[in-house]
Amino acid sequence: MSRRIFLHGVLIVYSIVFIIPLVWIFTSSLKSNQDIFAKPFSLPIHLDFSVFIRSWQEGDLGRYVINSLVVTSISASLVLLVSSMAAFAFSRFEFKGRSKILTLFIFGLLVPIQAFFIPQNQLLDQFNLKDHWFTLVIPYTGLGISLATWLFIGYLDSLPKELFESGRIDGANDWKLYSSIAVPLLKPGIATIAIFTILGSWNEFLLAMLYIQNETYKTIPVGLLSYSSRHATDYQLLFAALTIITIPMVLIYLVFNRQVVSGLTEGSLK
Amino acid sequence: MKANKTSTPYLFLSPALIIYGVTVLIPILGTFLLSFVHWSGFGSFQFAWISNFTRAFTDSVFIHSLGHVLLYIVATLILEVAFGLLLAGIVTSHKSLNKYRVLFFIPVLLPTVVISVLWRSILNFDYGLLNGFLRMIGLGNFSHIWLGDSNFSMWAICLISGWNFSGFYLAIFYAGLQRVPGEIVEAAKLDGADEKTILWKIKVPMIRRITEIAALICITGGIQSFDLFYILTGGGPFHATEVPTTYMVQKVFQDQEVGYGAALAIIVTTLVVVVGLIFSRMRRKNQVSLEY
Repeated sequence: MSRRIFLHGVLIVYSIVFIIPLVWIFTSSLKSNQDIFAKPFSLPIHLDFSVFIRSWQEGDLGRYVINSLVVTSISASLVLLVSSMAAFAFSRFEFKGRSKILTLFIFGLLVPIQAFFIPQNQLLDQFNLKDHWFTLVIPYTGLGISLATWLFIGYLDSLPKELFESGRIDGANDWKLYSSIAVPLLKPGIATIAIFTILGSWNEFLLAMLYIQNETYKTIPVGLLSYSSRHATDYQLLFAALTIITIPMVLIYLVFNRQVVSGLTEGSLK
Repeated sequence: MKANKTSTPYLFLSPALIIYGVTVLIPILGTFLLSFVHWSGFGSFQFAWISNFTRAFTDSVFIHSLGHVLLYIVATLILEVAFGLLLAGIVTSHKSLNKYRVLFFIPVLLPTVVISVLWRSILNFDYGLLNGFLRMIGLGNFSHIWLGDSNFSMWAICLISGWNFSGFYLAIFYAGLQRVPGEIVEAAKLDGADEKTILWKIKVPMIRRITEIAALICITGGIQSFDLFYILTGGGPFHATEVPTTYMVQKVFQDQEVGYGAALAIIVTTLVVVVGLIFSRMRRKNQVSLEY
């Protein structure tokens, strides 16, 4: 019993140290620059939430959010569609070259982004594909395919063969087997894979920085960074921007925390 | 199963294969080819043969960047993996301790840019929380330009990384520990083992495979790390926190030495792939632990 109280104590102390940075950005966004400097641990005196509106407008955060939503939703949908189709072919059919093509996909699980971003940048440049609203959809879809296909194969392999055989006897063609039998049964898997694909593109920084120079098409990570250098001395506005981006993500996480955690860890446990 | 038509499997595969091929596979080949030339990114190029590689191994900034990444990996194996395992052990030791883990996962899902800008502010000399705290308790003399001081910057990044990612490893180990069969734990309890013994002598050895995967993710992820270093210090001060990827980006996108950058990319990729293969070898050798 005393041991349990001790462990609670340890975790509470650690939680406090852990959460102070997160609380600090929130409280600081409600304090003047002088107070942030002079009284770092004090609570804000005037609760003037208009700073969030100011920060949103001055930072043009809405634009970054919309860009992120567009890029993320399109690339995640594409990854889910093409990877589930590929996995269906690998899992359900025998065909020539199957193991060789599968090896190519698995190879993608191993190679880092560094292995391909330099020529990828040159290719995008060559075909004039940088600095468009859809630019980041291209690499993000490519990045997600390997792991998504691999996980989908795992889910599909665990479905009973008889389901598909009886579907075939009922006269379903190959596309019907995929769309009416496989896809509905893959729903839990789709949720998991959707989460890691979505968070992956939502948070991606390196490629977003290299491929988008135009303010109009920047996504949240790069947009936030350029905002932080534009307002390097207006700490209150900067902290308000960080808070605006953080709070919705934390709320979504608190509601769907089991799915989010499994979405981000499943890939490593397989 | 046989497809209706022999072409069907290929039709199902082709969208994924085309996108993946164009965005990943062909560029990988491209990196390999570029590493053998001198090229500024446009115009003509000259063959360099292996001179980009010989240059890399005599480039002291690059050699040091490998050293930094090695230090970072060792530090994060302790601060993220080992600490995550310890936290998972504590959190699973009783039901009432379970809920804390929800909190520790929050930084994992936030964009690294948010984490970095947040910590850059905390460590800021003038208005940062850390120096503010030191001033408050009368230790103002100890305040520092933490990220601008090469004695501290590397350690600061390692600690921030620990804060950021330990929750990820906690989640992995938590999932593993949950799968240890209850009967085994019960049997050990009947034999009089206390919780500490059960954790370290029974549960942890049983999730050995997960521990190996966690270490693999930490090592290969560490070799590739970029975001934290780039935003917190940009590799500085004076290359004190330069890692291969920040250096590579600088070479290609600032100095326009595309061929040299590609050679560095090939070296980093080789390291990642070799570590990955070593680990998968090891896994095949010890197939005794729990299967999932």
